[in-house]
Amino acid sequence: MRISLKPFFLSIMVLLILFPFVYLLWLSLSADWSFPQVMPDYFGLKNWKALLISETGLLRSFFQSVIISVSVGFTATLSGFVISRNIAYHPKKNTLTLLSYFPYIISPVVFGACLSYFFLKLGIFGQMTGVIVAQFMISFPYALIFFNSFWGEKTKNMEDLVSTLGGNRLSSFTKVLLPLAKGMLLVCFFQTFLISWFEYGLTSVIGVGKVQTLTIKVFLFIREANYFYGALSSCLLILPPLVLMYINKKYVFNKLT
Amino acid sequence: MFLEIQYINKSFGKEQIVKDLNFSLAPHKTLSILGKSGCGKTSMLKIIGGLLKADSGNIILDGNDISELEAEKRNIVYLYQEDLLFPHLNVFENIAFGLRIKKQKEAHIQSKVKEMLELLELEDQGQKMPHQLSGGQRQRVSFGRAIIINPALLLLDEPFGSLDAGTRQRMQQLFKDIAHKFKITSLFVTHDLKEAILMGDEIAFMQSGKLKLYKNKEEFIADPSTGVQNEIGFWENLIPKGQNII
Amino acid sequence: MKNKEKHIGFILFVVFAVLPFTLAFGYALLYSFGVIGIVNEGFTLKFWKEVFTSSTLGVSFIYSSVIALIGVILSVSLALWIVLKYRESFGNKYLSFIIYMPLAVPGIVSAFFTYQLFAQSGFFARLSYQLNWIETAQQFPDLVNDNWAIGIIITFISLLTPFFILLYLNIYKDERIEELSQLSRALGANKKQIALKVSLPIMLKKSWVLIVLYFIFLLGAYEVPLILGQESPQMLSVLILRELKQFDLTKISEGYVMAVLYTVVIMSATVFIFSRKKLRNNAY
Repeated sequence: MRISLKPFFLSIMVLLILFPFVYLLWLSLSADWSFPQVMPDYFGLKNWKALLISETGLLRSFFQSVIISVSVGFTATLSGFVISRNIAYHPKKNTLTLLSYFPYIISPVVFGACLSYFFLKLGIFGQMTGVIVAQFMISFPYALIFFNSFWGEKTKNMEDLVSTLGGNRLSSFTKVLLPLAKGMLLVCFFQTFLISWFEYGLTSVIGVGKVQTLTIKVFLFIREANYFYGALSSCLLILPPLVLMYINKKYVFNKLT
Repeated sequence: MFLEIQYINKSFGKEQIVKDLNFSLAPHKTLSILGKSGCGKTSMLKIIGGLLKADSGNIILDGNDISELEAEKRNIVYLYQEDLLFPHLNVFENIAFGLRIKKQKEAHIQSKVKEMLELLELEDQGQKMPHQLSGGQRQRVSFGRAIIINPALLLLDEPFGSLDAGTRQRMQQLFKDIAHKFKITSLFVTHDLKEAILMGDEIAFMQSGKLKLYKNKEEFIADPSTGVQNEIGFWENLIPKGQNII
Repeated sequence: MKNKEKHIGFILFVVFAVLPFTLAFGYALLYSFGVIGIVNEGFTLKFWKEVFTSSTLGVSFIYSSVIALIGVILSVSLALWIVLKYRESFGNKYLSFIIYMPLAVPGIVSAFFTYQLFAQSGFFARLSYQLNWIETAQQFPDLVNDNWAIGIIITFISLLTPFFILLYLNIYKDERIEELSQLSRALGANKKQIALKVSLPIMLKKSWVLIVLYFIFLLGAYEVPLILGQESPQMLSVLILRELKQFDLTKISEGYVMAVLYTVVIMSATVFIFSRKKLRNNAY
């Protein structure tokens, strides 16, 4: 009889997926760990306690990242939803959609580098506002593309129906369109939140080291060869999306084809 | 006349969809319009409802020129073949929708919607969500939602097109009763010969953008282009064979 | 009134989506021809000539394309193989959540993790030492910042594969491949034929736009090669940024030439995808 490889394969896969999480957590709890030891000399909450000390600035970075990503996710999702309607019903819809792909698909860091002059002129270079604006510019096109499919024949008919029943544009948005798109709005918010939360290159170019989001912190710690703090900030970076995903995994995944 | 349509034209690009549309309709009457898909009937209804802009022509409703008025101010409800119930609202709230838009008093809304639910034989369904209803029930809710705001004119675009034969028959009767009770003026578009004859006080035929009105049903039946003669011929051809069998 | 609304929406679209990209591109273009820039003296073609005579950009383009291609092909193949062979297992309650977990890991953390595992003083080197496979850290094969970009490719695979697994699980369900496979079996096809002639063609056809899109994303990847790449050749974004941020101001224009060329290639690729498939209902 043939031996089934399935349980074996499954265990390997679960291990492979869980390993990075466990390893990073372990690393964040370690200190004094020189080659070739397999176990660290110190294992405890030292690094996590340091989190609370303002010196590392990690807690500050965490909240700064939350503010930036929530702002970006919120503004990109709402404006993307409303404005994608104009795109979807526009006679030149395909050209406009193509145009919104450009800023989405280009490397954000190159995009940001070419734009930094204008950020300087606007006086938002190296500022949190600047980082929010910059990240908005790459997540807004995503939201536009994302909501493209919402505005079909059926939605149009629904809007028409609302107006023949006596509703104006505002009531069609508040009473019908927004409630209808509730699920999509949540997914889009989560996705644009993640674009911002994970963003490194663009933030480093526009923030020039003055706006230290968590990704910037991770990179700085790696540069300093402070891997324990690096792992600690990585944990902070992974935790919020993981929690949100646990609450509802369907928010995380959508297909962009 | 209550509704007067004067010289309406509409083209998409080079193709003329509606040609010199001209007709009038007395109050509380139903004009049924027979037409195959693509004959321009949907465009015609959308122009009258204010959802599509005509290239030329006027629409007079109850003595007022409403040609330039926006859809939400016309008091004309356009109903699709699809029931288009709002999936996030229950049956009660779907029917109450237009009243809430008009910001009417809660007590008034409650009593009117209840009355409408009874009339539609949906008394026990008020709290159900649209996806829990059958096709016929959904279409009834859709009617209730339209009629409750007392529209001056009701436009029906193949309203029973997606229903099975039995449900369709019951809905036709229900509509006639309601139309009579609420004194509704309506345009009823269908591609079904029998339904066209059954539903209308007046009858018309639409083909490649042109609408032809008939003085009475006899004239409609006599016109070979409507297809009635063809239909009669089909049955007549069958009957002798049937008699042979017997 | 309605027209006004339409115009406002359109203007906002232009301001938020089109204008920044146009400004960035215009600025890079002008800079590359020496029209603007602190040390530039007016229109000149010398920076373009410089970039075209030096092989740096060309090499970086080929290097990045090869890495991105290998990364995408391996990820897609791995995902396809796993889904076709083990898809029933994903019905498991725990696994169906666990499979989502990698999506919570950003590129920079992935790169850091790869570094921690594969560097010469990393976790695997330590294990090898304890197992007496190596005696010094230098004996451990160089897998990060290496010539073959193995660290980068491993990281790309770890980032992309989970995404493609989830994608293919969805396609498998949505396209009713299970039913189609049963039908094929009834028509006399064997397992291999079903995979090659039914499942794979459907899944690839449904996902090719995304595959190309992810290739383009990898082509422009920044933080992963920044942490795991070598001095030369470098991947495109890292190279362009190095040129733009260098101290020798006279060289900055060459960086903008590279940025312009990169952008033009990306734009052409996007137009190509669009011409092949009308992306009307892109997100669903």
